[in-house]
Amino acid sequence: MTPHAKGDCDLAQRFVDQELTPEDRVRCIGRLGHDDAFRRRVLALEQLALAATTVPRPVLSRDFVAGVLRRIESKPSVWRRVADAVWQPRPLRWNLVGATAAAVALLVAGGVVSRMVDRRETATTVVAGAAGTTPVLVRLVVLRPDARRVEVAGDFNGWNPAQTPLEQLANGAWTVTLPLEPGRYNYMFVVDGTTWVDDPFAPEQADDGFGSRNAVLDVRPPTGGVM
Amino acid sequence: MAMGPSDDVALVRAAQCGDRDAFGALVALHGPAVLSVTTRMLGQGGEAEDVAQEAFVAAYRGLATFQFEAKFSTWLYRIAVNKCTDALRARRTSTVSLDAHDDETDGWEPADDETPHFELEQAELAGALDRALAALPPIYREAFVLKHVEGLGYDEMSAVLGVPRDTLKMRVYKARTKLCHALSHLQGAYR
Repeated sequence: MTPHAKGDCDLAQRFVDQELTPEDRVRCIGRLGHDDAFRRRVLALEQLALAATTVPRPVLSRDFVAGVLRRIESKPSVWRRVADAVWQPRPLRWNLVGATAAAVALLVAGGVVSRMVDRRETATTVVAGAAGTTPVLVRLVVLRPDARRVEVAGDFNGWNPAQTPLEQLANGAWTVTLPLEPGRYNYMFVVDGTTWVDDPFAPEQADDGFGSRNAVLDVRPPTGGVM
Repeated sequence: MAMGPSDDVALVRAAQCGDRDAFGALVALHGPAVLSVTTRMLGQGGEAEDVAQEAFVAAYRGLATFQFEAKFSTWLYRIAVNKCTDALRARRTSTVSLDAHDDETDGWEPADDETPHFELEQAELAGALDRALAALPPIYREAFVLKHVEGLGYDEMSAVLGVPRDTLKMRVYKARTKLCHALSHLQGAYR
């Protein structure tokens, strides 16, 4: 390739990236007007870039989100846990009171530590609560960017969606925080007052006897504030 | 990923506090883009989805380290690309070096008289491009995919791949040239 042709190629590439200087823009526009080969090269690159925006996009399988959540909840190997503990960087924020408290806690904690670790791994949707008190706060999230209204109906509200509307977040997610006593609850979301949908994030689902599946929420008693 | 960084903040913070549903929402929001990258890098099939899920699991396990210095989507892309690289290494069937940095080679420059013009309809062209992408060496494929399929700018690509901006521009240039060359060999693609 001649230096001239190589410069043309570079000019065409920068045209597609919209990274031309004002001088190069003038030069490029001139070339587009009278140089058929250059024009066709630019056109081919532009068509390629356009085609890239329309390549068939894969669709998430229905089980994708639930699959990720199942993997997260599966207990990692001992080696993995050790490696994470050793290598995972963490931000450290020191203060005297906190350090003293941590030192005292280390002295008295002993075998309690292993129990706390086990509890943390089994927690699911409990986001707040204190031992010995009810209710437990549980947050539900569902993605429905096109919805005008989302409600939830379940065992906790007599299957009356009007009692429990969700609040819309900026990104198309809808959320509600429910105070629930420990127990198992079936529920479904209701979109725009007419469409009943299950919760794709639910770790467990149950047949509702009518051909659909309810999400199952397993609210466990809070255990010492460890989430 | 069309979402801005502020859109993710609340969900990421909730997920960092152990809110499993918030992380599920992040998976649902960003899953299509992550799966798009893994599919382009690894091909259609179960492996792409498996690696995409692995990327999210890795993100979850490293969530405590995410400090909002970059967009959450940028961070996710980086994890996904690294997972794809691991998967491609594990295949050990390709003779292409994943670490090749032959950006200075000149073998893909078009001939002076090569002035292609597409005759395929746009939808056909997209399908042909999808197939041609699979034949690109991984470092060029990932650069092209992030730039043109996912629509990232060079600065964000640099953050994702940890490669200088100018190097990435050259990789994209090479990828585009190579793809034009590959498509020109399809019957009826060019005249």
